[in-house]
Amino acid sequence: MNINLIPILLPFFSALLILAVSEKTKYLKELLSIGVTLTALLASIITLGNSLGGDFAEIRLPWLYNLAQFSLKADMLSAFILASVSLFSLLIAIYSFSFENKGPSKWFYFNLLFTQALAAGAVMSDSLITMLFFWEGMLVFLYTFIALSKTDQASKNTALKAFMINAVTDICLMTGVIITGYLASTFNMSEIAENKLVLSGWATFGYVLLLIGAMAKAGAFPFHTWIPDAATDSSAAFMSYVPAAIDKLIGIYFLARASVYLYKLDGTMSMVVMSIGALTIIIAVMMAFVQQDYKRLLSYHAVSQTGYMILGIGTLHPIGIAGGLFHMLNNAVYKSCLFMTAGSVEKQAGTNSIDKLGGLFRNMPVTAVCFIIAAAAISGIAPLNGFFSKELVYKGALETGHVIFFLAAEIGSFLTLASFLKLGHSVFFGKRPQELAEVREAPVSMLFPTALLAGLCLAFGFGAFWPINVLIAPSLANLGMLPACELSGFHLDNLYWVSVIVILLAVANHILGVSLAGNKASKASDHIHHAPVLKPVYEMAEKRYFDLYHLVMNKVPAMAKTLFKVDRLMDKLTDDLPSASFNAVSKNLGEAHNGSYLLYMAVTFVGIVAYILFIGGMK
Amino acid sequence: MEPTSLLKTAVFLPLLGAFLIPVSNLMSKEIRNSFSVILGVMTFLSTALLIPVMLNNPGFSIGARFPLGFDLILTADMLSVFMAAISSFVSMIILIYSVDYISHYENQTEYYTMVVLFLGSMMGLVFSSNLIWMYTFWELTGFASWRLVGFFRSEKDVLKANKTILVTIFGALCMLIGILMIYFENGSLDMRVLRGDTVSMLPAVLILVGILAKSATLPFSTWLPDAGVAPATVTSLLHAAVLVKIGIYAYARIFGVTLVAPESFSQGVTLLAGLSALVSAGAAFVETDIKRIIAYSTVSQLAFIFLGLASGNKVAFAGGLLYILMHSMAKGGLFLCAGIIEQKTRVKDITKMGGLFRTMPITAVSFALCSLSVMGIPPFGGFFSKFLVFKGAVESGNLLVLVIFLVGAVMTLLYLTRLFYLVFLGNAKENAPLEGSPAMVASVAFLAIAGIALGLAIYYPFDYVTVISTQLGVNLQ
Repeated sequence: MNINLIPILLPFFSALLILAVSEKTKYLKELLSIGVTLTALLASIITLGNSLGGDFAEIRLPWLYNLAQFSLKADMLSAFILASVSLFSLLIAIYSFSFENKGPSKWFYFNLLFTQALAAGAVMSDSLITMLFFWEGMLVFLYTFIALSKTDQASKNTALKAFMINAVTDICLMTGVIITGYLASTFNMSEIAENKLVLSGWATFGYVLLLIGAMAKAGAFPFHTWIPDAATDSSAAFMSYVPAAIDKLIGIYFLARASVYLYKLDGTMSMVVMSIGALTIIIAVMMAFVQQDYKRLLSYHAVSQTGYMILGIGTLHPIGIAGGLFHMLNNAVYKSCLFMTAGSVEKQAGTNSIDKLGGLFRNMPVTAVCFIIAAAAISGIAPLNGFFSKELVYKGALETGHVIFFLAAEIGSFLTLASFLKLGHSVFFGKRPQELAEVREAPVSMLFPTALLAGLCLAFGFGAFWPINVLIAPSLANLGMLPACELSGFHLDNLYWVSVIVILLAVANHILGVSLAGNKASKASDHIHHAPVLKPVYEMAEKRYFDLYHLVMNKVPAMAKTLFKVDRLMDKLTDDLPSASFNAVSKNLGEAHNGSYLLYMAVTFVGIVAYILFIGGMK
Repeated sequence: MEPTSLLKTAVFLPLLGAFLIPVSNLMSKEIRNSFSVILGVMTFLSTALLIPVMLNNPGFSIGARFPLGFDLILTADMLSVFMAAISSFVSMIILIYSVDYISHYENQTEYYTMVVLFLGSMMGLVFSSNLIWMYTFWELTGFASWRLVGFFRSEKDVLKANKTILVTIFGALCMLIGILMIYFENGSLDMRVLRGDTVSMLPAVLILVGILAKSATLPFSTWLPDAGVAPATVTSLLHAAVLVKIGIYAYARIFGVTLVAPESFSQGVTLLAGLSALVSAGAAFVETDIKRIIAYSTVSQLAFIFLGLASGNKVAFAGGLLYILMHSMAKGGLFLCAGIIEQKTRVKDITKMGGLFRTMPITAVSFALCSLSVMGIPPFGGFFSKFLVFKGAVESGNLLVLVIFLVGAVMTLLYLTRLFYLVFLGNAKENAPLEGSPAMVASVAFLAIAGIALGLAIYYPFDYVTVISTQLGVNLQ
């Protein structure tokens, strides 16, 4: 069998098998899932190796007559994403082994394995229709993942929100795919890449639709609003898997494919993409900074970090794109790790609310250290992995000549670090509440994946050349771009000193915030939260005034009512009006039927006259 | 069995068998019920057996001569067999489901007679290649549907039945004038002879009026929601999944594979269909009666089929045909779920339902799966039909129509999720009912799984409809 099929088919059939396993069995589902994801990871690594060696192990099966074949192909970019998908699936499977807050474990693993299978299919698809098939297929499992993680109605509503946002943007993606395939006369991406589409007319429309689909998947502004809600209404394991890892991988993967591989963008479109990236960074990090819930704070960062990736890819410069892709990988690593620490704290301490937490370093040292490493990585502190990918994004942004994007990215970094200082300080340091004295460290099955990811933050930092040379550079080559300069390496240049200044500013801000809040670390953001202009804006944001989903959903009933009125009007025209007019006519004629011979004779006479005149007129 | 005998069985067995149902009732109820079901099963089997015949046979005709060119000609080709197989399949399911469902109502003999008569005239219509016979069978289906909508005898039901027949007959008479105009212009009513001829605007529009009236599309759409509420669920299903496809089929037959209509005509149809999709989706979002919602959803989905058939290219035409298949399965499932819910809760108003997921899990999951197919989400079959129809719309190059249908697709998501949430989630009401009878639950589960199976095995139906559009299509790009 073709090795590319293993990461798709194995989780697919195992997911079905898990449904047959009784909920009462202990650890059978968990062990089965770990075994399956491990096998899939090994297969993916072999695929990656083959791919780097030039063997893409292409599969083409007859599928949609002459419209499209069922084609899978692991080129270097796809193999890289596939390996990442498989890695995160394994780590989450291990993490969830003793994590109870994930809902019924049968359904959790069912959703996990299905999501993995579909994600693997989506990244390996060469035909856009095949990709769409897998991509849109994830919708159902996104819904069930969230809806089944808790039993309350709120989780169902958030699941619906996630479903609707993704379903609508998937329709956009589908239309974009159709337009792209129509203009290129083929749906095979590798064939389109040989003759890239140039933006104009329908092509621009098509690209924008693809962009919407990819960005919504990655969770960029303004399609991100389900993610913070899911943070409160679903489990840490789900957050760590889907919004933090899989969605980013898939979304950014396709953003890169669409922007560089399928289309040849112009300067204007590049500006549009970069602007969306910059807006996403700033808006989401502003929201993250003031959150009081551990997971919700992280979820806004998950959105904000997407902005860096989009910004990097939007530069269209090899360095920026390399930064975007590397940041995608790094973000998945540290963000998954951070959500895992959130899950561990939630499980052990029983709350996510940061003003009820504190001083947990002594109780949960391993979790705390992992948190510190991952938090430093997301804040772009050298020499962790986040530093290197952010540097590439900065450089790419500067290469475009638009300094404003660079500034937006730096402000984002400042607020990122500030909010992680607040979060870390209030959870792991400071005064420990009395009731948390007995809290113990998380179980090994949860610590292991967390520590492994923290280790990756270090490894991809100190050894940044490895992922860059083995994963990123070949992917760039795959996209038809070769970087002009060395991508990895540590440089004591101006950018480095800027990052040091940003760190110092963030630390100073935190000290100021804590002292203004009366030594309460969880309130360290209040001086900005309650600042004159920002306060009303924040209040409006909390009331969902800026949530596109709610804005649209609030308009739907009125719109539907208007359409319904049209329907009723049609009913009047086709039912009431004919009935009324026929009734009126027959009533009037009936009244004429009064038995008077005189009247009948008169009518007959008039009729004869009219007939004669009519015949006469004909001649 | 010989292919010609299969064709004769498919048409004449139900058509003549229907008149024997009252006779069988004289023997016993059980014999009557089994006889009706056997007629349904036999009809479906004979059409299903024609499918493999069609794969390597361009088609064949049988006929009887009548004066003035009004010959009765029955032609089996890929398109007519496709349509006949789908509609006889759904009708068969309806007959099976009815044995249990209809058993505690009056006038059962009339019901069975009319369903089988409907099936027979549907088969006659589908296989007729003479326009005047098509019209004859068309009116016969209208007659059967009139009696079925008026199955209950209350004044309200009778009014709705009258509305159904008056609207459809008005359309049919317009269509008859159109057919006669074609006869005088082109000198024939035999569609095999007419193939490739052009048709002028006026007769095309007159025929279209008949089609729109029968297929419940704007501006003649409102009879379907009314007809969907009045009678038993099985009858609503017969209308929503089978009867309304008559107009669609006539469109495919007359304007897709026979006559060449002016380009502006097709464009007008797509635009009208777009408006119909939007208006009915809006209505589906506002309504609170579960069956009215599903009926409006049918109106809205029919518009997508029209879009596919009228877009003027092969891909879209194939998509429209595929849509007929997927929609019949999914909508059948939705209506039968609604039937179970209505029978168990004795409520029609969805705002008075809630929390049924807990007590009726299989119905709920089947309902969700069928909804997903209607929404067009993979791996369900509906995904492919939606994809093809949209592809056709893009290829026709009309941005306005494309955008209208995109909004229509989004509205589809909205009203179906609203329906699901109000019925199955939320707070459970007191005395939440249990799951329906095994036969009923099994049939909805079967239709739900069929939606997935069709999506996973899309290769075969896709192949079939593509061959139809490439071999039979007239003037398709």
